[in-house]
Amino acid sequence: MVSRAPGIFTFATAQYDSGDWDSAPLVPPNIIDTIARYTEIEVTPTGAIVSLASPDLLRYPFVYLTGHLPVRFSDAERKQLREFLDRGGMLFVDDHNHDVDGVFHKTATEEITRTIGAPKELPNNHPLYSAFFKFSEGPPTTSHELNGWGDNLVHKNLFAVMREGRIAILYSSKDYSSEWGYHPDSKRFQSVDNTKFAVNIVVYALTA
Amino acid sequence: MTALERVASARRTLGVGVVLRAVLWAGAAIAALLAIAGILDWLVGIPRTARALAIPAAVLLALAALVYTLWRGRRVRDLPAVALWLEERVPQLRYALVSALDAPGSSPTLEREVAAVRWSAVINRALGHALLPPLLVLIAAATLLFALPAGVRARISEPRAGDALRRAPIAAAEMRNRLTPLTAEIAPPAYTGEKRVIMEEPSSIEALTGGHIILRGQGSASGITATLAGAPVTAQARDSADQWRLDIVVPAKPAAVELHDRSFTRTLILAPHADSLPVVTLTPPSRDTVVRTPKGQLSLAASATDDYGLDAGWFEYIVSSGEGETFTFKSGVIHRTDAGNARATKLAGSLDLDSLQLKPGDLVHVRAVARDRNNVTGPGVGVSETRTLRIPRASEYDSVAIEGAPPPNVDSSQLSQRMLIILTEKLAARRAKLPRAQVIKESQAIGSDEARLRQHVGEIVFARLGAQQGTEDAGSNSAGSARMTPNQLLAAANAATQASAGATDFGGDETPVVAVNRPLLEAYNAMWDASRSLEVGEPGAALPPMRIALAAIQRARNAERLYLRGKSPVVIVDINKVRLAGKRDDVTSSARIARAPLDSSAEVRARRFDAALERLSANPSAAIDSLLALRVDALEAAPAFAAALAPAIDSLRAGHNATDALVRARRIAAGTTVERVESAWSAGW
Repeated sequence: MVSRAPGIFTFATAQYDSGDWDSAPLVPPNIIDTIARYTEIEVTPTGAIVSLASPDLLRYPFVYLTGHLPVRFSDAERKQLREFLDRGGMLFVDDHNHDVDGVFHKTATEEITRTIGAPKELPNNHPLYSAFFKFSEGPPTTSHELNGWGDNLVHKNLFAVMREGRIAILYSSKDYSSEWGYHPDSKRFQSVDNTKFAVNIVVYALTA
Repeated sequence: MTALERVASARRTLGVGVVLRAVLWAGAAIAALLAIAGILDWLVGIPRTARALAIPAAVLLALAALVYTLWRGRRVRDLPAVALWLEERVPQLRYALVSALDAPGSSPTLEREVAAVRWSAVINRALGHALLPPLLVLIAAATLLFALPAGVRARISEPRAGDALRRAPIAAAEMRNRLTPLTAEIAPPAYTGEKRVIMEEPSSIEALTGGHIILRGQGSASGITATLAGAPVTAQARDSADQWRLDIVVPAKPAAVELHDRSFTRTLILAPHADSLPVVTLTPPSRDTVVRTPKGQLSLAASATDDYGLDAGWFEYIVSSGEGETFTFKSGVIHRTDAGNARATKLAGSLDLDSLQLKPGDLVHVRAVARDRNNVTGPGVGVSETRTLRIPRASEYDSVAIEGAPPPNVDSSQLSQRMLIILTEKLAARRAKLPRAQVIKESQAIGSDEARLRQHVGEIVFARLGAQQGTEDAGSNSAGSARMTPNQLLAAANAATQASAGATDFGGDETPVVAVNRPLLEAYNAMWDASRSLEVGEPGAALPPMRIALAAIQRARNAERLYLRGKSPVVIVDINKVRLAGKRDDVTSSARIARAPLDSSAEVRARRFDAALERLSANPSAAIDSLLALRVDALEAAPAFAAALAPAIDSLRAGHNATDALVRARRIAAGTTVERVESAWSAGW
């Protein structure tokens, strides 16, 4: 069980039985760095890993899930995730393959559909894109999309499953897990910080 | 007819009378008890379990009456006793009868005196007195029983679930609460094949989601309304033989049904349970594995179970090919099997690896799938764990594997060393009984094997150190010629890898080559010691170094089994350093406010529980309703708490002391109690 101080945000990565849930280990510290860099949100310096089947999932308001391999939730994982979403938690799922014909995309969307419902296209004027920084054209494009890897598509939209007017599951085929998967100290080599959109996601998850 | 014959005749008549009286009393007991039960059921109602006991109790009472009556009349079997009984009631006999029986036929005078007296009237009168009371009781009880309203006798003679509605109402229609009595017929979905169950006076109904619950009560349906989870139930109540009924489809989540009849209300809890998904276990393959040559058939087998019945099962596979950022996938379904509504089935088949045309680097994911027959809320599809078959690339054959893989083949070095130890131990044990020459001969034979093993270990070590294989000559076994000290070997290792000559430090600065080879070097030197002892016929002295060598080989094997995996460093962000260091030029001015923390449902439940308890003394009915509603909400999220609430609610409804049950529920609500089933043996510990 991971302890955390009340009121302090902890970036949690979802651990699931199938697949490679830990394929992007540098994303959590990079986003933690970004949150501290741009916001006054109290954030723990390291992320947490939480099993999707564990009741500890309910300790985190926002959970990140990624991978390359097939995703098959167990009954316990599906039940716990459903309760997490019922109670207002938000899950961010990112396809590390950035391939709509890939096995992660197919299985993950299938599991999401079985758990809570099918993801729908999120309009690019959704409050998510102005929750902190302004992304007037929707989700920022990743270098992996432009480099022509994966499915050779530049995805114009993210997808979401809504609950009571809020995003319960945010699904991305843009492979932010690769885009943000570097040591936070390397930000100084970038002319434009490409992790700003992560702030919007976290701020949206934590605010109303 | 002699006196003796006349007394015997009287005895037969009286005996028949005793038996008749016993039978009449038994019948009267049965009729009276059933009549009393019927009257009580008609007036106040008797639970079905008590009614089910009425007939057995009546039979027992009848048997008791029969036995008791026969026991009281037991003296009728005794001829002198019958004679005395007649003497008491016929004074004219003046003991002539008794005297005549003492010596039958000896006194004609006594016989004449007895023959002159008639006692049939006395016997008839006695029979009348004996038979009339039980007969009257039997007639009265039977009359009462058959005079009861229709349905009462059936409720007593054949008590069945749901027959509470047969009880004729006593109060006037406008005064009656049509919500009591109430029955609930639980009709599971047809695909389950389960039987219907009827509950009387239900407060909580557990049923399969998608099934039907038919509530029935007495009286007209007019004016009876119902809500399910706050929403009006779409099904309408309708008349049926002076009964109303209400069909409700069992929802997916726990809900409360509120029934209303004018000012009367009644709350029921629906506790649905879902049809479980099939449970599928894939064996074999039982683990992920790596296959260098993807040819032939991969055997597949799986078992599937379901709580109500399986429809079909099959295997699915996905083949992913490619590397880097480019992957292609193909998938398929094989060996689909009709399970025929069985609750358990086996799936078997094979995957033709040749037909998949696998290439190095490909991954094959295999899983078993089973589908149940749920045509109401399903079908439910259960899947097994996914097994992965990996085809390694040529460049990976001699590299440290980074994928999970089954244990490699058993190391022959270890087995050989262990076998040599066993042989040496046997020889050491027999040494005292063998001639010295025999000991030396057998010991040297083992020593030769030990030398060959040492040569093999040495080849491995020297190969790793980069030297030419076969550096050591197995035939040259003389101590001191080829044996190297650990320091010499390590120095050779470093020289072979161009490492610094000073790296023989065993502390923390040793080179990777030295570190990897250290266990085998230790084994190598221990084998030298063992060989020397075996060569001179001292098997006992050879055993300690042989065991050291075995332990060292074991350590080397463990080291070889480590599948090193690239691990990212643990990054701890210096929050204070980077806080607000970024440029926030393009921050929007959206006014978002922090959300409240995720609801702690346990605390909320505890608060609601406390509030219900506070209302208990002032308004018990409202408190019970609150507890019912709380139970509905807790059924899914906190089943232990919901289970603890049930006896408390039942006790409160029955007007019993519910303190213990409430205290237990409160403890569970507070999260300080763990429900655990103790056996009778463990309860005292």
